[in-house]
Amino acid sequence: MNRRTFLKLSTFTGAVMGARQMVGRFSTTSALPLQESIQNSPEKWIATSCLNCSARCAIRVRILNGKAVKITGNPLSFVSEGKVCPRAHVGLQVLYDPGRILSPLKRTNKEKGKGIDPKWLPISWDQALKKVTQRLKSLRESAQPHKLLLFEGLNTVSSEDMILRFANAFGTPNLISGNGLDTETEKSGNWMADGHYTETAYDLDHTNYILAFGADVLESSKPLARFLRKWGKLRREKPNRTRVVVINPRYSVTAAKSDEWVPIHPGTDGALALAIANVIISENLYDTDFVNRWTTGFDSYKKLVLSQHSPKLVSKITGIPPETIQRIAREYAQTKPALALRGRESINWPDGSHISYAIFCLNALVGSIDVPGGIIYQENPKYRDMPHQNGDDIARRGKNYPRIDFRGTEKFPVAEVVTNQIPESLLEDVPYPIEMAIGFNSNFNMFAPGTERWDKALQKLPFYVHVSPFISEMALYADLVLPSTTYLEEWGYDHSPPGSGFAEVRIKQPVVKPLGDARSVIDIVFEMSKRLEEGPAQSFANLGGHSEGFVKFRTETLMPWKEFLGKGVWLGKDYEYKKYGRLFNTPSKKFEFYSGNLKSLVSKMRKGGEKDFDYLPSYQEAKFLGEKEKYPLLLLPYQPLMVVENGSQNYPWAQEIFLPMHGVGWDTPVEMNSETAKSMKLRDGNVVWVESPFQKIKARLKCSEGVHPGVVAIPFGQGHYSYGKWQKGIGVNPNEIIGVDYDAISGQVAFFNTRVKVYKA
Amino acid sequence: MPRWGMVIDLDKCTGCQACTTACKVENSVPHGSPDEQRLRRDIFWNKVIAVTNGKYPRVNTELIPMPCMHCDHAPCVTVCPAKATYRREDGIIVQDFRRCIGCKYCIVACPYGARSFNSKEQEEKKYHRPDLPPDRNVWGQWPFPTRTHGVVEKCTFCFHRIDQGIKEGKKIGEEVVPACVEDCPAEARKFGDLDDPHSEVSRLLSSRGWIRLREELDTKCKVYYLPR
Repeated sequence: MNRRTFLKLSTFTGAVMGARQMVGRFSTTSALPLQESIQNSPEKWIATSCLNCSARCAIRVRILNGKAVKITGNPLSFVSEGKVCPRAHVGLQVLYDPGRILSPLKRTNKEKGKGIDPKWLPISWDQALKKVTQRLKSLRESAQPHKLLLFEGLNTVSSEDMILRFANAFGTPNLISGNGLDTETEKSGNWMADGHYTETAYDLDHTNYILAFGADVLESSKPLARFLRKWGKLRREKPNRTRVVVINPRYSVTAAKSDEWVPIHPGTDGALALAIANVIISENLYDTDFVNRWTTGFDSYKKLVLSQHSPKLVSKITGIPPETIQRIAREYAQTKPALALRGRESINWPDGSHISYAIFCLNALVGSIDVPGGIIYQENPKYRDMPHQNGDDIARRGKNYPRIDFRGTEKFPVAEVVTNQIPESLLEDVPYPIEMAIGFNSNFNMFAPGTERWDKALQKLPFYVHVSPFISEMALYADLVLPSTTYLEEWGYDHSPPGSGFAEVRIKQPVVKPLGDARSVIDIVFEMSKRLEEGPAQSFANLGGHSEGFVKFRTETLMPWKEFLGKGVWLGKDYEYKKYGRLFNTPSKKFEFYSGNLKSLVSKMRKGGEKDFDYLPSYQEAKFLGEKEKYPLLLLPYQPLMVVENGSQNYPWAQEIFLPMHGVGWDTPVEMNSETAKSMKLRDGNVVWVESPFQKIKARLKCSEGVHPGVVAIPFGQGHYSYGKWQKGIGVNPNEIIGVDYDAISGQVAFFNTRVKVYKA
Repeated sequence: MPRWGMVIDLDKCTGCQACTTACKVENSVPHGSPDEQRLRRDIFWNKVIAVTNGKYPRVNTELIPMPCMHCDHAPCVTVCPAKATYRREDGIIVQDFRRCIGCKYCIVACPYGARSFNSKEQEEKKYHRPDLPPDRNVWGQWPFPTRTHGVVEKCTFCFHRIDQGIKEGKKIGEEVVPACVEDCPAEARKFGDLDDPHSEVSRLLSSRGWIRLREELDTKCKVYYLPR
């Protein structure tokens, strides 16, 4: 039975039967149907979706006597095939976190700063919202709505839609998401090649060879549960086992589980990709049919890689023997279909867009574009359109002001958001001062490099309102904290970032009553706009009036409401391959080895400066922060699987198994090659300082064989200082010592080019 | 009588530790703390361990999920002076909290480190979870009192699920499996009757080479690993 027939067959009344059939389809052993015999049992299963990372997998929650006691996958979901990653289980501790705040809090201590007690005073929702709207109203009355800054952390897609609409209705162009800290270079690399500014989707069901450039597909890639499920499929559920080669300076879990780990000098993945292209082209192993018919710029690309990137030359740059480069290139080109994946370690560099572009081009070279087992193009669900938003004059004028993160300007021509630019803009009041900010589940002063700047900038904000279920580090700088619900207590709709190709929507419905006085972000925005009256209020009329109504309004066109509540998942149509005629959003309408998109944009943005840019997937030696003599090692931060991305880590189940490769939890070990440590007379377990040109942190040394000799690997996720017995004071945050740098094209933060030195504390 | 066993495919396993968290949730296993981890006192019924060999750049780490091996010749059963740990007819080794005197002989005897002593203080009995063993209402009477401190505990192959499943006439190994098997995203774990030639576990064991840990001790354990 394929997906289409399944969709046709199953009606709401047949939901339980459908679930059973799906179970058979996936050979899942779970015998737990959706919402079976709810009436007379203290037990029920509710379909909803996760939000412990942006993959937002479909889940089912088991409720017993009004309490959530178990979270597992929803077998109706095709993105993760009814499976979830371990973080989904941790959701119970997110919901019942003893550190959650249960009523709005007002700051009574005027002084702000790290380590200063805000002296919270509980107030009522009415008082809190009155304070917020008063401020907001005065901004609009003085025709300065652009001086409102909105931060957006990890929210449901429905909340994101609401927040964006609120920004437009109010009249501010300054909505800052955390995407600039994730993998914007992946998007810009795609855009340079095929015109799609999104993350990449892979047809993992059919691929036979994976070349992963720094892609931690078993740890931090999205959607993770899909990668985990497909890993089992790739290895042993198809006739020929998929070979996986991981290129990474660090021996990650993915590398450990792969067939071959190829350590590489950090920041040289672009050169390696071009050398692989060199071998493929010079040995005529490329897909001539695809290249001739559906690509442009191949000749200049060919000239570049043949003249400058021989395996011998690149071997000196990457530290990988020429024979290995040749062997991998041949394997990759001759095992079809093959995929070249990118991840943070390879592309979050100052020239990341070009590295990302270079690696992505390898897929086109072997014809793995829009074919089974290749790169696929995500179809997004079509929710019901919201009524057209006219906006009043104040809003229209406000929105026309330049954005304070300089996206789409000469500085960051292609960027959609430059998250880490905000502290500088705030501290220097460029392009104009900000009067007020609202943060929705954001925690950027933990997650962005150069945390000190964030602290200073947040301190300077005249009025900051933080919306979150707990007091995160960012909330410590708030004048007002509004308790929002966790994802298990609210209404919403969600879909994953690209990954599956076909569209899939999941519902969020409250599985338990909200704890205390917590309210959902959607309801908070509804209430704020109602109190603002005029334009903002009009923008939110006819949208259902409250969170449940809003979700119903947006999704009812996809699926009948009751059916959606029962199943929790809506599925789009099957994926269609080889749409070459209408696939590429480039000037040539083909896949481009010479980026016409970048060229046309740059010539618009920087008149006369076109020559400074390289439109081929070229490689440049990375720029590093700090002198090599003084700071001999390179910092390599990484995100382990158990990092919950909602801004808190106060979850013992996640903390105690934080780093499986070292058998360590509750800590941030500083990982160093054992030979390097020996040469510096450091021993395993020593407490050391890791010092960059900007800051230093103290942690315990872990000698390891799984890390490049020139690198110090430190995991993200710890170093919280705001609240919670299970996270406060545990470990350190490498973001404190990382310098501030960007990919100039996408505005993506460069995480990996900070030099450090390590010495005994 | 079936003989329950588990097969873990290390080629499919992703080292994600969903088995560990799923087990903690299902069995309400208390979580640890930084201090307890330092003293190696944290309690796991299932844990993923890492074994590393080699020297940079030729290094290999094997991530191995470790439940209780449910040995047919279980050393823990032999040494227990109180007969608190015993082998059920279906091969599952269980621990009776009421009989356990907390002497920890079994912990010493177990070659796999599968057993934990619950040294939680009385005031920590709730383990910061407001929803202690929820399952009795659904799975039927838990055979032992609510978990208590001062005793040794370990993996039960989720026998409460199996017993309930049998009562309901469900197919064990297909419809009903332990929580770690159910929630393994890579489907690397399979559970079933080792004596049934038609079971998935039997099929897997006959299709590929397998290993059991510490075979030389002749524990005849019932958790099999399929190497890469």
